[in-house]
Amino acid sequence: MYRKQVRRRRAVLALLIVGSFALLSVTYGQGSDGVQRGVATIFSPIQSVADRALKPARDLVNWFDETFDAKGDNARLHEELEVARKQAVRSQAAIAENAQLRKLVQLDHSGAIPSGYTPVSGRVIGRSPTVWFADVTIDVGSGDGVKVEDPVVNGDGLVGKVAAVTGGSARVTLIADHSSAVAAKVVPSGVQGVLKPSVGDPGDLILDFLDSEKPVGKNQSVVTSGWRGQGIESGYPPNLPIGEVSEAPLVEQEAQQQVHVRPFADLRELDLVQVLTGGSRG
Amino acid sequence: MILTPNILARLVAIVIAGVILQLTFFSQVALFHVSPDVLPSLVVVLGLFGGTLTGAVCGFSVGFLLDCLLIVPLGGGSLVLLATGYLAGLFRERFEIHSTLVPPLLCMVLTLFAELGFGAVELMLGIDAPVSTLVIRDILLKSIFAFFLGWGIHALLRRLLRPALVEEPTAQVRRRRRRPRVMAPGRGRRPRTMGA
Repeated sequence: MYRKQVRRRRAVLALLIVGSFALLSVTYGQGSDGVQRGVATIFSPIQSVADRALKPARDLVNWFDETFDAKGDNARLHEELEVARKQAVRSQAAIAENAQLRKLVQLDHSGAIPSGYTPVSGRVIGRSPTVWFADVTIDVGSGDGVKVEDPVVNGDGLVGKVAAVTGGSARVTLIADHSSAVAAKVVPSGVQGVLKPSVGDPGDLILDFLDSEKPVGKNQSVVTSGWRGQGIESGYPPNLPIGEVSEAPLVEQEAQQQVHVRPFADLRELDLVQVLTGGSRG
Repeated sequence: MILTPNILARLVAIVIAGVILQLTFFSQVALFHVSPDVLPSLVVVLGLFGGTLTGAVCGFSVGFLLDCLLIVPLGGGSLVLLATGYLAGLFRERFEIHSTLVPPLLCMVLTLFAELGFGAVELMLGIDAPVSTLVIRDILLKSIFAFFLGWGIHALLRRLLRPALVEEPTAQVRRRRRRPRVMAPGRGRRPRTMGA
């Protein structure tokens, strides 16, 4: 009797392990399958309700965390505010000049959202619990016009792109995910490279393969390059703000250089995002 | 653990509630810049209550649901959490250590195991980017959080699954010791009589 129980237990265990490996090999590299889509469709309204209901509790816990941080940040922010004020005055003048130039060349669009794209607002309703994935689930899906590969932004800048969609939800792979690679350029120099994450540290991205003959300085902005040519094109439209150069080590006698970029968007605390649907991508 | 339809329904509800709470609450709060991961602790406690088979099945289910809701390739989460639940159940079956520190300590150790397991699965599938040393800090902090969360989860699940739990031997012994003894007539201290 006992032996029979042990045998049955081992059989179940073996079945579960084989099942896990089978699922992994069948579903790896695919967006989402029928089972996943069905489960996600059933649970996304529950997740959405739970997300809204638990927001006050989340805010309370995050308030403690932010209070600790705020003490250290206070002095640094005062200094940054001074610099930002001066920059803001310069920017105001530049914006006025830019508006006039845009009128002249009849390029009258905001610039924040590239022309041809329709933003669809969504709320983050789930987040991967492990440090190895940088994915979030949002409450808009194919029913709202969201498609795989659509870029995702928030008020600060580029966040990631849609990796899988169901009817009412979508998975967004953040630019801090190990699978992410964004074609980006440093402005105003225009030197181009590929932005890769540093796994486990969403506040630090690495802009690699930059031409070392063109110097890149600290605090320069990094935007998407949105290249296009010979039938292929970047997954992101051009000039979406990504971040600023936080560290630019000097390199000598090397053809390429690598700089560290601090993203504008706080990838650890995302709440509302916009999916840029449509666009020129086929 | 005695599995009745009622207890099975409770287990399913616990698994679903656990995954939804993780995704909508715990993954979105940060303490010292790290989000706690309750799912390994949940699976560990279920494994401690139910043994290897219950632990493995619950771990697989939690992982499967998590992968479905995150819309990531299925199987990775199931495999890691299955092993976590199995190890917790094995601990219960192999070692006769009954202490209030066992569940939180086991939650801490097996959360560390699960996080490294998630990393191993990712490495197996290929990580095409440098790995920051902050990952180590995050994993260690998650394990420390699991120690405290394990305590709460153990107490909560003990209450929810009480009808199904087999009494622990030490608990019975303790109860037997505390039972009031009936003194034989003429033995022991004689009760005082007031004013006599």
